[in-house]
Amino acid sequence: MTSLRELQRDFLRAVLEDPASGAALPVKSDCIAAAQRLQVYARNARGNFSSALESSYPVVRRLVGAAYFEQCARDFQREHPSRSGDLQPAGAPFPAYLHALHRGGEYRYLGDVARFEWLVQEALLAADHAPFDLHKLAAVPPGDYDRIEFHLNPALRLFESRYPCLAIWQANTAAEEPPVIDLDSAPHERIAIIHHGELRFHVLSAGEHAFLAALALRMPFADAVEAATAAAATAATAAGDFDAGAVDFDAGAALRRFVAAAAIVDFH
Amino acid sequence: MPAQVSHQAAGQTANPMPAQVGIGLRAQHHVDVLNGAPRIAWFEAHTENYFADGGAHVRALSAIRERYPLSLHGVGLSLGSTDPIDLAHLKLVRRALERFEPKLVSEHLSWSSVEGRFANDLLPLPYTEEAVRTVSEHVAQAQDFFGRQILIENVSSYLEFSCSRMREWEFLAAVAADSGCGILLDLNNIYVAACNHGFDPLHYLRGIDPKRVKELHLAGHSRVHLGGRELLIDTHGAPVCAAVWDLYRAALGLFGACPTLIEWDTDIPALEVLLTEADKARAIAAQSLTARGNTAQLITGSGGDIAA
Repeated sequence: MTSLRELQRDFLRAVLEDPASGAALPVKSDCIAAAQRLQVYARNARGNFSSALESSYPVVRRLVGAAYFEQCARDFQREHPSRSGDLQPAGAPFPAYLHALHRGGEYRYLGDVARFEWLVQEALLAADHAPFDLHKLAAVPPGDYDRIEFHLNPALRLFESRYPCLAIWQANTAAEEPPVIDLDSAPHERIAIIHHGELRFHVLSAGEHAFLAALALRMPFADAVEAATAAAATAATAAGDFDAGAVDFDAGAALRRFVAAAAIVDFH
Repeated sequence: MPAQVSHQAAGQTANPMPAQVGIGLRAQHHVDVLNGAPRIAWFEAHTENYFADGGAHVRALSAIRERYPLSLHGVGLSLGSTDPIDLAHLKLVRRALERFEPKLVSEHLSWSSVEGRFANDLLPLPYTEEAVRTVSEHVAQAQDFFGRQILIENVSSYLEFSCSRMREWEFLAAVAADSGCGILLDLNNIYVAACNHGFDPLHYLRGIDPKRVKELHLAGHSRVHLGGRELLIDTHGAPVCAAVWDLYRAALGLFGACPTLIEWDTDIPALEVLLTEADKARAIAAQSLTARGNTAQLITGSGGDIAA
């Protein structure tokens, strides 16, 4: 007699790969063949997976159309089956999958748009946090500032791309027909996605992006400023802008901006 | 047989779920529920939908929980799998139980995964001694982990295994006896399985120990034609059909007053539609239980006006 383990292995293969492969399963069949009965489960498994992916990636779906998205979801599920009883995390590898699939093609930006959508979703599902307590900071002696480790909002995500993903996302989450967007309009996009009561997007300079990335690694304030200054200089050089003003990173201004934006919410 | 640890006492709080009619809570209705304060005795939410660390859904459920009794109904533990139970998933369920303090906690008599791959569907089990042991051990493990009793729900099925050695209701009863869990009877699922496999749903109800039944589900289904015959498909996406309402009357006659849920998972309609279905369930319960002589149980619960 087939063990439960063997039965489940064969059943799952039939459901996720090919219902016809379940011919050897001990399934009763009458005028409805076993493969047709297994097909009902296969359809459910595909439908549930596809719906979960759809709710994580509505903009990608709108960009490529429902039929292509459905096919893409099916192929993606075959390569990256769900590994959890909760379907939400199943979409995590989708941006990398799309990126590899469309490398250099018409949809070369799709992987980045998907990554943007995923980060938006992560921000929306992250823990809520109280705003920064300025009184607490006022109690810190100025001499200790360099050693402070600032904490980012758990609902903050940093994003970088060579495509204008924020504009694409905004245009495709609006009800109206999206306008044509020039893919070269944002040669290096850096965004802080923050959910704090509402979803907000902050366009960042190279220095600001490096500063927040350093804080995310819990680097002390002085080290984060150093990393930000270096990134600002590199970006200015790459852009051919050798003006000293462009290279400077204003740490005080960045700190004020990010506390006000609830990007930074605590410190120790 | 798993080690018998009784979670009955831990599962039954001093203020249990009222034996009245609730509805399945879906995110589309959060705002309507919070703004409209509908007259409904309780809500049931899908546990996995509230696994997030924070965000709007978690906040909404916390606010709704302040106003209504809650049940948490899981779909992802894959209790019938021969894989070890997923500890990370168990921990997320336990966090949800601590966070939302539900009066009832339930899962399914099914499996969903093997060798780490998940179908994320409620797959059928063969009704064998080996499967009874597998499910019972996992149910007992989950109950130990949560420190409380859980309810196990029967699922719809579209096939039967020739290696089964007992009927579905005997299988469910054996799991409940071995693990000490309670039973959530989905009457639509019983009806779907009865039509698909040709048994009398009343035999199913009569085969269940009334003391184990802690909750009833009511839902809708659809019909497809395959190979020249009809197969019922559980969609939980349509009104409750007349035959399932009849089964509800029969269940109330056998089990007495019981928390009853109107469940709608696909093509989700306006909240008003669910409330109308709940009204119908209330009217049937009032009628059936009065006839059974259970009027006293009807009016002792808190929450909605069941006798309306």
